[in-house]
Parts: sequence; structure tokens; C-alpha cells
Amino acid sequence: MVLLDPTTLIDIALIGLSGALICLAVHFIPVGGAPAAMAQATGIGTGTVELAAGSGLVGLITSSYMYAYEPTATMGLVMASGALGAAVMLASTMLAGGFIYAYGVGVPFASAQVKKDPITGQRQDNYVSKGTQGQGIPTICFVSGVVGSALGGAGGGLIYYVLMQYYSPLISTSAAAVAGVFTMGVFYVNSVIPSYGVGGTIEGVHDPKFRRVVPKDVFTSIVVSMLCGIVAILIAGGMT
Amino acid sequence: MSEIKDIAPNHLVLFGIIGGLIGIYLSPTIPVAGSLGAICAVIWGADAVRRVAKYGLGTGVPSIGQIALGMGIIAAMFGLAIMKTQPLAGPVVAVITASVIGFIIGWFAQNVIKMKIPVMIRCMTEIAAAGSIIIIGYSASVAGNYDFMNNIVPLVFDNGVILFIFWVGAVAMLHPFNACLGPDERQKRMLYLAGSTGASTMAIVGLAALMTLGASGAITMLLGIVLWLIFYKKFWDEVYNDAASVVGTGLIPKTEA
Repeated sequence: MVLLDPTTLIDIALIGLSGALICLAVHFIPVGGAPAAMAQATGIGTGTVELAAGSGLVGLITSSYMYAYEPTATMGLVMASGALGAAVMLASTMLAGGFIYAYGVGVPFASAQVKKDPITGQRQDNYVSKGTQGQGIPTICFVSGVVGSALGGAGGGLIYYVLMQYYSPLISTSAAAVAGVFTMGVFYVNSVIPSYGVGGTIEGVHDPKFRRVVPKDVFTSIVVSMLCGIVAILIAGGMT
Repeated sequence: MSEIKDIAPNHLVLFGIIGGLIGIYLSPTIPVAGSLGAICAVIWGADAVRRVAKYGLGTGVPSIGQIALGMGIIAAMFGLAIMKTQPLAGPVVAVITASVIGFIIGWFAQNVIKMKIPVMIRCMTEIAAAGSIIIIGYSASVAGNYDFMNNIVPLVFDNGVILFIFWVGAVAMLHPFNACLGPDERQKRMLYLAGSTGASTMAIVGLAALMTLGASGAITMLLGIVLWLIFYKKFWDEVYNDAASVVGTGLIPKTEA
């Protein structure tokens, strides 16, 4: 049985690990959802899935670029380029969003979950408008978001790398398309699962929700991603 | 107002699975059938989304449409690739695989993440299966067959059409309930909108088929446009039926009152 081969088992475990990275990434990103779009909650004003997938897919593009132009690239390099692409994508999203919150909506950036920003040490609660859950993207959320998207991009790059090892010897020219689409499927599954766990909004690593939901979400993602990994490796059997 | 009876979920499940699979199996002879099968699955999937999203997911309706197609695409690739020697079994294996993945994710969502939505497991299974039929149906319409290595990979994956099918297929499934939800939501109106989103997807799939299959793609595109107009008119009529009254407000007055 090909599935019980030690290398295959390690690869399935790696796909499970990348699922865990993507799942963890979603918890780091300051997702505000619809309330944040009206500047009534801290974070970026769109859904978990959109942010995680948006930054992750850019990470997938940069990591596949690395793989395509440097076929001897190590796993670390592919993951790093994925992390870089995703982090740049989310940082520019947050920067543009920050400009709109600051100069368009005109709100001070403040987190409602902590009294002092853990990085800058500035008071937060004075600046939270009455009846809202904070506004804008404070420093801690920005840093947390960049770290999170880097994790997500690295996870996406890892799945892509593992799958390419299987598919490119079998279908040389189409391997990138098949591996990329499969990675996208795994990415969507793993970004929606944690979004159910956090229930729509999370501020980032400093949010009390973070500690509460991370273990069960990561556990779910590992199990589901390993299942996807088994499926991915069986697909290679149908290509010969 | 009299209570209007909804179409039972089981009937829509049968409609989606049987209609979808018939369409997929007819696609090698008439490629347009694949898209028609996918529309059956879109209508079924939209109803499953409606049943689960009524409880309030906390993340918006789009997330469930995207996870559906995420699970669907994994299962579709698996089913079609693994059954290389018996291509006839491919779509059925894909639907079964999708159901298994959907069931597992639904079970975890219910018991580990603790979402407390009673229909979660069943609806997750259904939307995953619907997602896989949507992917295979539209892909078969573009490729002219559902054979993974000979038709779908060169004609759908290599040129990137699969990305379009993934995204727009997801929107076709999640948009109807996302647009209709609210206190006065009714199943009939939503199902007509699902038909119209499925058919508009079919029209653009036809455009892709024009590129890959040539003239037969035009049939898919034209039939898609005709179906879209029919379903949209039906939806339009339902909106007028359900509205208390429809009034024209005229232009904004020039001077402030």
C-alpha cells in the first residue's frame, strides 16, 4: 500500500501541518467583518475567508513563482516566498484601509479588547467611541495581521511544494495547474473552518478569543487537511 | 397571508443528484447537458445553503459557498482521477467522496467547534456533494467530456477556466440566499434566483466552451442566456408578487423641502 510508505506519511503530515498554519493564520488576522466596515469594531472591514484567502492566494502565486523559476528551491525557500507575498498583500490592504479609516471616516485607531497596546503601550480605552467595539487598525492588530498572513502564505506554499513533488514527474506541464487548484481547495476549507470557530470577528493575537478557540480549530484543521492530503496523494495514482 | 408550503429538502436532493448526474453522463454526446446538470446542482445547493444559513453562521453566507466549492473541487479531482480505468464511475465516486468530506467537516463543526446548528452535518454533506457536481458539470461542458487526464486537465485546468468555474460556481450557489435573506424570504423566489445565477454562469461557461470546443460552445452560451432571461423574469415576477406594493418614487426633487 503506497499510503503506508514513510515518505508518504511524512508528506501527509506536512499537508496537515500546512492546514494548521493556514488555520492559525486566520486567528492572527484582525477581521472586523461588517461592523468594522462601518468603523464600529476594530479590524479590517471584510470577512475572515476573504482576507485569509486573499492574502493566501497571493502567497500561493509568489511561492509558485519561486518554484517555477528555481526548480531546485528548497522547501524553506518556497515557504518563505509564499509568506513574503501574503504578508505584503495583507500589509498593503491594512495600510490602504488605515488611510480610509483615518482620513475618510475620521476615527482614532483603538482596540476595545486591551487597555494598553502591548507594542506601543498607548492607552486604548479612552479612544474607543461609545457604543462601539473599537475602530481602525491599531499597531498590535497590524503586526498580528502581518504575522498571520505570513503564516498563511507559508502554509499555502508548503502544500504546493509537497503536491508538486508528486505531480510534476507524472504530468510535467499541467502539474502546476492541478497542484495550484488543489491547494486553493484546501485553502478555502481551512480558512472557513476557523472562521466558524471565531464566529466572524477577531482582533488578533491579543484578543481573549484567540486562546479560547485556537486549540479546537487547529485540531479540526489538522484532521481535515490530512484527509485532503491522503486524497491528494491518491490522485497522483490516477495520473500514471 | 396563507402559509406557502416549501418544496421538501429530499425532493431537491434527488433533483440535484439525479439531474446533475444525468447531465454529466450526457455531456460527452451533448456538452450543453453538463451545464444543465450543474444548474440542477446549483438549485439544490442554494436550498441547502438556505437551510443552514437561516441559523446564522456568524461569518456571512459567502463563507459556506466557498467551503462548498473547496470541498467539491477536491472531491471532484479525486473521483475523476482515481477512476481512470472505469471513467463511468468517476462522477459517482466524486459525489460520494464529497459527501464523506462534507460529513466529516460538518461533524467537526458541530461537535468540536460546537456551532450548535442542528442541520449542520446534513447540510454540509449536501453542499459538498452539490459543489462537486457543479465543478464536474460546468467543466464537462467546457471540455466536452468528464475524462480527467484527457479532457479536463488540458482543456479546463491548463487554461485557467477552472478558476472561473470555482469562483462563479461558488457565487451561483451562495448568492441566491445571500440576496434574498431576511424576514420575508421565500423558497420559491430564492430557487428562481438560483436558476438565474446558474444559467448566467452557464452563459459564460459557454463562452469558454466556444474557445475549447468551437461551435458547440455557442449552443451552451445561447441556451444559457435564454435560460437566464427566463429564470430572471420568473424571479422578477415573484418579487412583484411578494411585495406589498411597487411604486415609482420619481426623481429626487430639485429643491429641498
